[in-house]
Amino acid sequence: MTCAQCRELLDAYVDDELPSEDAAAVREHIASCVDCARELELLTAMSRRIGDTLVKYQAPDVLKARIRVALAQPDPLTAGAEAPVPRAIPVRRLAFGGLGIAIASSILTFAIVRDVAPDRSLTDQVVSSHIRALMPGHLTDVASTNQHNVKPWFNGRVDLSPPVPSLDSVGFPLIGGRLDYLQGRTVPVIVYSRRQHLIDVYAWPDTRERRSTEISASARNGYNVIGWHAGGLALEAVSDLNRPELEQFVRAFNAAR
Amino acid sequence: MPPNDLQRFERVIVPHLDDAYTLARYLLRDQHEAQDAVQDAVLRALRYFETYRDGDARAWLLAIVRNCCLTRHRRARAERANISFVEDVDVVHEGRGTDARAIEQSERAALQRALDALPPEFREAIVLREVQGLSYREISDVVGVPIGTVMSRLARGRRRLASALGFGAQEAG
Repeated sequence: MTCAQCRELLDAYVDDELPSEDAAAVREHIASCVDCARELELLTAMSRRIGDTLVKYQAPDVLKARIRVALAQPDPLTAGAEAPVPRAIPVRRLAFGGLGIAIASSILTFAIVRDVAPDRSLTDQVVSSHIRALMPGHLTDVASTNQHNVKPWFNGRVDLSPPVPSLDSVGFPLIGGRLDYLQGRTVPVIVYSRRQHLIDVYAWPDTRERRSTEISASARNGYNVIGWHAGGLALEAVSDLNRPELEQFVRAFNAAR
Repeated sequence: MPPNDLQRFERVIVPHLDDAYTLARYLLRDQHEAQDAVQDAVLRALRYFETYRDGDARAWLLAIVRNCCLTRHRRARAERANISFVEDVDVVHEGRGTDARAIEQSERAALQRALDALPPEFREAIVLREVQGLSYREISDVVGVPIGTVMSRLARGRRRLASALGFGAQEAG
C-alpha cells in the first residue's frame, strides 16, 4: 500500500468503516510509515475533539409540546396546514342540533342554552386560536422569558396593558407574547409553560356587567379553559394542562399581578 | 390515520426528536427556525409514515428533517437575499486568561465558527457522524449520496476544520 492509498482510507479507518482486509492493510502500512502514523494520530485527535466539543442539543420542551399537541388533533395532517379557523363550526353545529331538541322539549332549556351560546363561541375561538398558535412560527411574536421585555412590547399594539407577572418561582416560566385577532379586535396573548405544556392567557377590556369574582371553567377537545375578571380585564387561560394545575396557574397569576 | 398507526408513529419516530432538533440546529443555525423545521418534518413524516418500512427510523426521520431545513434555508435566502446568514456565533474569548473554562469556551467557539464556514454538504456530514454518531450507510441514506461520497465529504470536512484550527492534518495527496 502506498501512502496516498493509505491516506484515502484513513478516515474510514478511524471511523471503523473499512472492510477487514482493507483495515488490515492500513494497519500494516502504518506500522512501517511514520508519516501516515502521525497523520492517523492527528485525525483521531481531530475527530475526538469535534465529537467532544460540539453540543448534541435536546429538543426544547416547547417544541415537544407543540408536536404532542399537533399529533393529538383529530386530524393532525390537516391541522398542520394554514389556519384551520373553521374548526369551531362542527362543534357549534352540534350545539344547535342539540338546541333543536331542547326547543322541542322545553322553552326553559332554550333560554339557558341561548344565554350560554355567546360565551361558548368565545371559548371555541380561544381554543382554536390556542391550537393555531401551536403551529410552526405562530407561538410568539415576542419571545422572551423576561416580563420587562414582554409587557412593553404590547404598548401601542393593543389598547390595553395586559398583566405579565413573572411566575418562574412557582413553576410557570414565561415564554413570550403575541397578538391575536378574536371577536373583531386585536387581543394580547401572554404565553407561559409548565413542563411540556403551554398556557395562553388572553385579555380583553371587561365590558360586561359581571361580578369580578365570577370564574368560569370549561373544556374543549381536551383543552381546559378558565375565564375570570380582574383589574378591569376579562381574562381567559387555555391549556392542555390538567384542570387543577391550570387553576393553580390562574391563582398564581392573580396573586402576582 | 388509524389510532394504531398513530401510536406506532409516536413509539417509533418521536423518540428521535433530540436528534432531529440537533441536525436542524446545525443546518439552520437558529433555534426558532430549527424548531419550526422539526415540527414541519414530524408532520411530513406522519403524512408519509406508510412509506416507512421497519428500517432505521432515525435515519428516515433525519432525511425528512434535512429536506425541511433545505426548503426553509432556500426560502429564507430568497426572502432576504442581501442579508448575511452568519448569526448566533458565540462571542470568542480573546484574552490569554488561564481560566480553563474560558479556554474551552473559546475553543468551542472557534470550532463552531470553522464548522459554520464549511460548505453545507461537509457540515452535515460532520454533524451526522461526529455529533450524532451515524454510520456511513446511515449518512448515505439521510443525505441521498453514495457511501464513497460520504467518505470523501467527511475526510475533506475534517481536514478543513483541522487547518482552520491550526491542526497539522493535510489533504490526502
